[in-house]
Amino acid sequence: MVKKILLILAVAAVFGGGIGLYYFNKKVPSMATEKSELTVTASELFDAFDTDEDAATAKYVGKIVAVTGTVLESSTLEDGTPKVILDTGSDFGVLCEFDPNTDHARTSFEPGEELTIKGECAGLNLDVQLARCVVVQ
Amino acid sequence: MLLCLPIINQTNTGTHMKNLILVTGLLLTLSQMASAQRYFTRDARVQFNSDTPVEKIEAINKSGTAVLDTETGRMEWKVLIKNFVFEKALMQEHFNENYMESTTYPNATFKGNIANVSKVNFAKGGSYAVTAKGKMTIHGVTKEIEVPGTIIVGDGTVKVHSDFKVACADYDISIPGVVREKIAQEIAVSVDATLDPMKRK
Repeated sequence: MVKKILLILAVAAVFGGGIGLYYFNKKVPSMATEKSELTVTASELFDAFDTDEDAATAKYVGKIVAVTGTVLESSTLEDGTPKVILDTGSDFGVLCEFDPNTDHARTSFEPGEELTIKGECAGLNLDVQLARCVVVQ
Repeated sequence: MLLCLPIINQTNTGTHMKNLILVTGLLLTLSQMASAQRYFTRDARVQFNSDTPVEKIEAINKSGTAVLDTETGRMEWKVLIKNFVFEKALMQEHFNENYMESTTYPNATFKGNIANVSKVNFAKGGSYAVTAKGKMTIHGVTKEIEVPGTIIVGDGTVKVHSDFKVACADYDISIPGVVREKIAQEIAVSVDATLDPMKRK
């Protein structure tokens, strides 16, 4: 009887430890698998932050947002990270840094091209910034 | 010098002096405008790591903004906390939700000056050791800091680099006892930016 209990406990410990280890080592998932919680245009998003940063922070920061706009600038950092700035009609735009955990079909875009980009809204830093972005097909 | 020529022909010495002062003033302003330049980037990198025998934690932010006025030495940096990229999901989640509370305090900033900016010749390529002094705000807490750094003047660009340590306790970032062994009390921060002359006003 004692042996049985010990065996059950040992099995439970191995499973528990395994599950714990799995969650502990789990990589940040690809943005492609995440659902967008809010949908806006680039100018709507920028205007919201420009008008009332605190209210916009409360509404958007930490949320997965799908943003539609035209490409103002498309660039690649020295380490290969692509970035796109969507036009908002103002001096600053919506800056989208691409997700390192996704294989992107395209990473270079023409100015003027219309795109919908999904990412986690990080807040206002001159531009409104979106983190871990993917292009929505 | 061409601007001065009509003045030399003036006969009235009073007007001559006035004009000379005006023109000298104008020339001075023009030369100041040419040298007073602001440099800017929205691709500043801010990296940190916490190294303990139990665990190594690293994260990088590639979308920091940095502005430098080469005349006054005034410098401002800002990064959004949500833009720090981690390898492991749980680390990213704990960093944002438990330690930095990034929806309440979405950014970290440095606003200050390069104390010895006069040592840097922005017109001549080279590497200069500098000290940045100013206010750093992390997790809603502002502290006066002084950190060493390097400025590398290149062909039309200015590179800024600095390594320094940030003590979690200084910024009211509390680390629970259970994970205390896994997270360093002092976080090593490394910042790098290549700034271009500012085009936008």
